[in-house]
Amino acid sequence: MGHPSVERRRVLAAAALGREPGVPGAGSEGGEPLRAVTGEIRDVSPHLIIIETPEGGEERLVIAPWATAWHGGDTPPADLPMGARVMMRTLRDGRVVERLWAETIRLTGTIVSIEGRRDVTVELDCGPHRGHRTAVIPYRATGRLRVRHPQFEPGYLFDAIGIRKDGAALALLPATSQPAYPARAVPAPPPAYAGVQARISGTVTWSDIFDAEERGVGYPMVERSDAACADAGVSCAGLPYLAIGSLLQVRNVCASRSANLPIVACGCLAGRFCDRCVECGTSPRGRIAELSPTSYVELGGELITGCFNAQIGMG
Amino acid sequence: MTHVLASQLPVLIVLLCLGTVAKVATVRSGSELGALARLGPAVLVPDRFRSWALICCAVGELVLAAGLLVTTHPLFRWGTVAFFAMSTYVLLELRRRRPDAGCGCFGEVSSAPVGLRSIGRTVVLTGMAVLSLWAEEPAWVAFAHPSWEFGLIGVALLALLSPELDELADRARHRAPCEQRRGPAEGITLARLRSSGTWRAHEAELTTAEPYDSWRELCWRFFAFQNQDHDDVVFAVYLTGRRPAVRVAVVSSEDSRPLPEYTPV
Repeated sequence: MGHPSVERRRVLAAAALGREPGVPGAGSEGGEPLRAVTGEIRDVSPHLIIIETPEGGEERLVIAPWATAWHGGDTPPADLPMGARVMMRTLRDGRVVERLWAETIRLTGTIVSIEGRRDVTVELDCGPHRGHRTAVIPYRATGRLRVRHPQFEPGYLFDAIGIRKDGAALALLPATSQPAYPARAVPAPPPAYAGVQARISGTVTWSDIFDAEERGVGYPMVERSDAACADAGVSCAGLPYLAIGSLLQVRNVCASRSANLPIVACGCLAGRFCDRCVECGTSPRGRIAELSPTSYVELGGELITGCFNAQIGMG
Repeated sequence: MTHVLASQLPVLIVLLCLGTVAKVATVRSGSELGALARLGPAVLVPDRFRSWALICCAVGELVLAAGLLVTTHPLFRWGTVAFFAMSTYVLLELRRRRPDAGCGCFGEVSSAPVGLRSIGRTVVLTGMAVLSLWAEEPAWVAFAHPSWEFGLIGVALLALLSPELDELADRARHRAPCEQRRGPAEGITLARLRSSGTWRAHEAELTTAEPYDSWRELCWRFFAFQNQDHDDVVFAVYLTGRRPAVRVAVVSSEDSRPLPEYTPV
């Protein structure tokens, strides 16, 4: 065990079963390809943004006239603070920015404790690999969050989008309607009748636990012994078992874009959510994958809405 | 007449033991998925006592079964009557207060909402326990000389009143496909691989007997080994069946193209 590369698994599995190993990357449908670019803002003006990429290089991008930005609320791109980490959706091979999200984080987990009366501090258990996180809900956001989290007590799930500010994680927007059951009581999947469908529909979300610029998904249905994750293998969507390293084809039904993405993490928390996405129409129940922000944006997703209706299949 | 009185004791004991085993199994497997939230009298107690409620119930059943088996002490006889009479009351109460909850009599198999059949069954069981009050010997004598006719009548009556049998038949019919079922442990699959002809054909080339990587995808479990030329030898073992299909490929370590060798078995 402990082989350095799980990418090799895909080649080996394809060889053993005599099938073609898939190629990761975006599909052809869906119009002009999008590229996600991340970095720290060095300088920003109404028409130009200069960022420092995670590798340490510098990139200059043109801000499109119709571009919008989000930093705890809608702002003009030129008002973003220096030094903020931004995720950008770009056109033209990564040269023209049309949407910016600054310091955006996602707080997904099981509520461990709740403290405070005015500004509420919530401690979250984010699964065996991700540990505990502390989120602060500022007073102005409590109403909005509480109305979508009716079971606001330990043991229930929490999912919110917010920003990083002065080292604290602020939760500002609800990312979903909270499931009504405790985190350990996930409903069983519907009975499967004849075989597995080639495509499974559901909701796909993003998570900020991935590395910057990592392209991949967290998938809930992996064998516990393989992923060393005692919480894996739970889902209410009737998903087939796959391995870390398998290639998954994810299709954004709302934007008609698809991509082949490798499974890079155990999505043990995503499997506990039996929610729907109402981005375009109502998706079937069940969170089927958790994308890295880069992959999510390149599939046409909007970080603030938190999900898109999706179909997955084997890549 | 003695035969008639003692005839239902074996049925009661077997049923009590089955109940114990099923409840303990449910607590062991179900506690992490929170299945107890929908089961039996446990839903009437607060969340953290739920598994304890089921375990207490299971232990009580086991003690009653053991007592009935070896002694004629009235404590166990009357205890059984009281247990089933109380169960009837609890089920009636459960049906009134939580119409969505299953009775949990046989653990998570009894997750269907409590119906007249489940209640009828506890009434019949109470009747059987009352009948056994006057039996002169302990139950092991009844096991040694069973009175088949009355015993079978009891079993048939209980089977008719058991919604669990329908549930089990349904589960057997609509079993999840193998891609969605939890697979056997890695060691079991590895043992099946080692008993296959494909393994024996390639065993000599391998540098170690233990795989350096193993993973499961859909219905296959893969084991990766290295051979003496530092190429990867990968075995794919189908997850169902005692003598599953095994496939093998040798992939050279530099490029990713497999050598042309597929041997379905």
